[in-house]
Amino acid sequence: MRMSRLIDDGTSVAVTSAKPRLSLVTALQILVFVVLVAAWQLGAALGWIDPFFFSRPSDIAAKIGEWLVTGYLWPHLAVTLTEALLAFVIGTVSGVACGLAFARIELLAAVFDPYIRILNALPRVILAPILILWFGLGMASKVALGVTLVFFIVFFNTFQGIREVDPVVRNNARMLQASDRQLLRHVYLPSAMAWIFSSLHTSIGFALVGAVVGEYIGAARGIGYVVAQAQGVFDTTSVFAGLILTSAVVLVIDLGIHRLERHLLRWRPRI
Amino acid sequence: MTTPAVSCRKITVRFATPSGGAHTVIGDISLDVEDGTFVAIVGPSGCGKSTLLNLVAGLLQPQLGDIAIFGEPLTGINRHAGYLFQQDALLPWRTVLDNVMLGLVFRGVPRDEATQRARQWIARVGLTGFEDRFPHLLSGGMRKRAAIAQSWIVDPRILLMDEPFSALDVQTRQVMETELLDLWQESRRTVLFITHDLEEAIALADRVVVLSAGPAARIKGDYPVALARPRDVAEIRLDPEFVELYRQIWADLRDEVRQSQAQGFR
Repeated sequence: MRMSRLIDDGTSVAVTSAKPRLSLVTALQILVFVVLVAAWQLGAALGWIDPFFFSRPSDIAAKIGEWLVTGYLWPHLAVTLTEALLAFVIGTVSGVACGLAFARIELLAAVFDPYIRILNALPRVILAPILILWFGLGMASKVALGVTLVFFIVFFNTFQGIREVDPVVRNNARMLQASDRQLLRHVYLPSAMAWIFSSLHTSIGFALVGAVVGEYIGAARGIGYVVAQAQGVFDTTSVFAGLILTSAVVLVIDLGIHRLERHLLRWRPRI
Repeated sequence: MTTPAVSCRKITVRFATPSGGAHTVIGDISLDVEDGTFVAIVGPSGCGKSTLLNLVAGLLQPQLGDIAIFGEPLTGINRHAGYLFQQDALLPWRTVLDNVMLGLVFRGVPRDEATQRARQWIARVGLTGFEDRFPHLLSGGMRKRAAIAQSWIVDPRILLMDEPFSALDVQTRQVMETELLDLWQESRRTVLFITHDLEEAIALADRVVVLSAGPAARIKGDYPVALARPRDVAEIRLDPEFVELYRQIWADLRDEVRQSQAQGFR
């Protein structure tokens, strides 16, 4: 869960300590992309890769273009995104709330610790059929699946973030006569913010995973449904096109979170 | 006799050790501090000076004994006290202005008034122009100034200071000591100032209390400092009266420091 932050910090070090290297890194990143795509296309053309199983980049690009032009994909994408965003918001809010409560109330944390661990150990994909039974084939079951993924990530990070509050800063606020609510608002939450944000990067991806997997198992709309339909007729091109569009959307949302994080955590020293 | 600002009666503090035993940090200390006096508490490192201060702050409760603040038994956080910490205690996610006004905000002072008063204090500690900086962009001395403004803006009747300048370099430290005395001269609040630096203690205080080496620290000596005020922190160290006093108290403190070193630094 800390991985994404470690990587983020790594890039920010590169940005601040050696500006000229940034363009080199970008150039190399583009190069890697070009080489991979070219190898894939070439492999398919030369018969090393079977396009039936792996499709080819030109076909995938054409498919994405076709979807964008005909507007076939938009309703599906809208459904998936709505599910993912709902799961993300519900999971984040409940995760932060529970993380705060557990970190502040020792007894609660002690009693529920084993149960939280058991729940978190459950493979969530297995939950999908049950959630569909409970919540039906509509959006609710997908949102529920996403929430089960997002909640725990945010919960554990918030819990840890609250636990790591500098005791000197906390005591200082107490001496300045902060009430419990003021402590929460002015000390605990801002202090946990770095941890919470690092979990948001991970959990936006998981919210989408929840939505897509839920749709894949049983739905009438959404990216997961599109992929499942395509797979049913061995249309690998559409499967890949769906996957690529999904990850592109996640990247855009993550960029937004990154911007927000940069703003809210501007008080932190840049190393 | 008036009610003392701080009155500690037969205070004992024990901490549980990981091995299951009990470590007595403070053993049976009684101490009265008159209102309006500047009291310095010196002692070897690890003797429990900070513990004593945390008791008066109400951040820690003694196992035995009572503490009274202006005659009233202390329960919970000491509402008459401001605390200047040894470490950085500013909220790192708040600007200087927001940090300084924090105590007023917590007390429900309207935002406009709080901002105005915070700006006055920021000017008093010489931080005008740095209101919108975050703490990590300030020097150690500037952070300390902001912390002074933060704890004094609510005008506490008792000021607790835990080696506030120990992390600063020598020059900054002397500047800060001078500024502290100037500020104190205006308000004459009760001060409890913890330090391991005897020179600093004598230069600033009306009274120096020497704690013995731990475990179970107690009061080893209690000296009035009758040097005239206002004082020049740099010059006063050369005053014959200062030197004589230093000799006396050091004789007391020396044994404790040695004993504490013999036990190994803690």
